[in-house]
Amino acid sequence: MADADPPPGDGASADGPVDSAETSGPSAEASDADATSGPTTSGPTTSGPTTSGPTATAGAIIVPVEPTSTLRSTIAHVAEAAANDGAPALHLVEIASWRDGDPESDERAAAAERVLERVAAWATADLDDSEAPAAADVEVVTAVIGADDYLFGADDYVRVLAEYAEENAADRVVLDPEYTPVGNTTLLQPLEFALSNTSLSVETAPVDRPTRRERFRTEATTGRFVALFGLSLAFYLLLGDPTYWFDAVTGVATAAVVSITLSRVSLDSTPAIPRTPMRIARGLVYVPVLLYEILKANLVVARVILDPRLPIEPTLNRMRVIVGSGLPLMTLANSITLTPGTLTVRARDSDLYVHSLVPWAREGLFDGSLERWTRFVYYGRRSARLPTPRERDDVAILQGDDATEELPIAAADGGAVGAGDESDGGDETDAAESIDDEVTDR
Amino acid sequence: MTAAALEAARVWLVVALTLLGLFFSFVSMVGVLRLPDLYSRAHTASQADTLGAGFGLAAVALTVGLAGAGFKSVLLLFFIFVTNPTAAHAIARAAFEEGIVPWTNGDERR
Repeated sequence: MADADPPPGDGASADGPVDSAETSGPSAEASDADATSGPTTSGPTTSGPTTSGPTATAGAIIVPVEPTSTLRSTIAHVAEAAANDGAPALHLVEIASWRDGDPESDERAAAAERVLERVAAWATADLDDSEAPAAADVEVVTAVIGADDYLFGADDYVRVLAEYAEENAADRVVLDPEYTPVGNTTLLQPLEFALSNTSLSVETAPVDRPTRRERFRTEATTGRFVALFGLSLAFYLLLGDPTYWFDAVTGVATAAVVSITLSRVSLDSTPAIPRTPMRIARGLVYVPVLLYEILKANLVVARVILDPRLPIEPTLNRMRVIVGSGLPLMTLANSITLTPGTLTVRARDSDLYVHSLVPWAREGLFDGSLERWTRFVYYGRRSARLPTPRERDDVAILQGDDATEELPIAAADGGAVGAGDESDGGDETDAAESIDDEVTDR
Repeated sequence: MTAAALEAARVWLVVALTLLGLFFSFVSMVGVLRLPDLYSRAHTASQADTLGAGFGLAAVALTVGLAGAGFKSVLLLFFIFVTNPTAAHAIARAAFEEGIVPWTNGDERR
C-alpha cells in the first residue's frame, strides 16, 4: 500500500525541504497544537486543499477516538500513515456511549465534540508538519456516530463503524492501543476480533503506552477515589464502632488501601453530583417494588411446585431490552433471575435469553415491568415510559407449541445465529394472544 | 403490661417469620426434587435464597435488635440478593453454552 516516499523521521523536523507549498503557512502555530482550540470547527473539518484528489488508490482511514493517554501519539502515527499512503481522508470518529434523548446526552455529546475538536487540531497540525507530498491532500473529518441507539458489545461498535466506513469509502481502521469506548472494560481485543470479520483492514497504532499521561485520566480517577474511599470507610465504620478511635484510624487506613488499589477497577464511571445521588434515591424506591415482585412470584411458584400435577410449562424466551450496557443491564438481568419463575440464561448484546417456568412468569416478563423500573432507576421517569417489550415486538418464545423463533442452542458452539437476527414472524402476536387465553390461574 | 405485650408480639412475630422462611426453604427443596431439569431447578433454588433466607434473616434482625447484628443481617440479605442471581445465571449460562436444551412439556424426565 505504501508508495515510494521515504518515511520522514518523526515529522517534527521543519528543516527539510517542504514539497507542498500550502503546508508552510500554518506550521508555525501548529507546534503548539495542544493549546489550539479555536480555529477548528466541529463539523467536517478540512485541512488544506482537498479538491485535487490524491494520486494513490488508498481508501480513507478511520480512527475511533476516546480521550486516552496514548491518543496524541496515535494521532501522530495515523497522520503520518495517511500522508505517506496518500489516503484521501482521515476520519476521526467518536462512537457514542450514550443515546440521544437520554438525560445528559447533550452534555456528553458536547464533551465528545470538544475532544474531537482538539484531536482534529492535532491531526491538522501533524499533517501540516509532515514532509510527505500527499499530506496536504488529506482531509480531516470528525464525526460522532452511533448516538441513535444503545451500543452494547464489540459487535455493535463494529457494525456502526462498518456502516460509517461504507458511507465514507474508508477501508482501514487504526486503533488507539488504549481505546476503550465504554470506559471500564478492555474492549480492544474483542473489537479487533470483530473487525477482522469485516472487509476493513485493522491495525493498532504502534505507540508507546505510557507516553503522555495527561489530564484526562487523572481527573476521572479523583472522583472515583473519593467516592470509593467514602464508601469503604462508611462500610467499615458501620460494621465497627464509629465512636471508637481505634476503629476510625484503622478504617481510614483500610479505606485508603482499598481506594488506592481498586478505584480504577470497582467503579465504571465517575460519580457525578446530580446523577449518582439521584440513582441511589431511585434505587431505594425500586427495592420495595422488587421485594413485592419477588414475594408475588414466590407464591405463584410455590403453588405450582406443591401442586401434585406439577403444572409447569418451561420455555426459553428471547427479549431485546432497552437499557444501557454494564450496570443497568446487570441490574435488570439479576432482578429477573432473583424473581422465581424467570431465569436469565444468557445476555448477548441487548438480547436477554430468559428461561421461564410458567406462562404467567413469561407474560410478566414480556410486560416489561422490571425493565421499566430499571430504566427508571438509571435514567429517570421520562425514560421509563417507553413501550413494553411486547408492544415493541422485541420478544420471542423459542420453545414449545407457541415458539416463534428457533432455539439458538447451536449458536453456543459459535454457530449460525447472527448477532442481529430479527426473524420474528408475523404470527408472534397470535402466539401472544393464545398465551393470554391459557393464563387462567393468576 | 404494654411492655410484656410488646415482647410477646415480638416473639410471635419472630416465630411467624421463621416458619415462613422454613416454608419457602421447604418449597425450594421440593422443587429441586420434583422439577425436571437444571434450568427449572435453578428457578426454585433461588426461592430458598430470596424468601427463605429473607424471612429467616428478618427473624434474626427482630431477635437481636436492629442496633448490632440486626444491621449486619440486613447487609447479609443485600449481599445474598446480589450474589444469588449471579451464581444462578453463571450455572444456567454454563449449561446453555454446553448446549443443554431446556426441558419442555412432553420430554422425558431427566
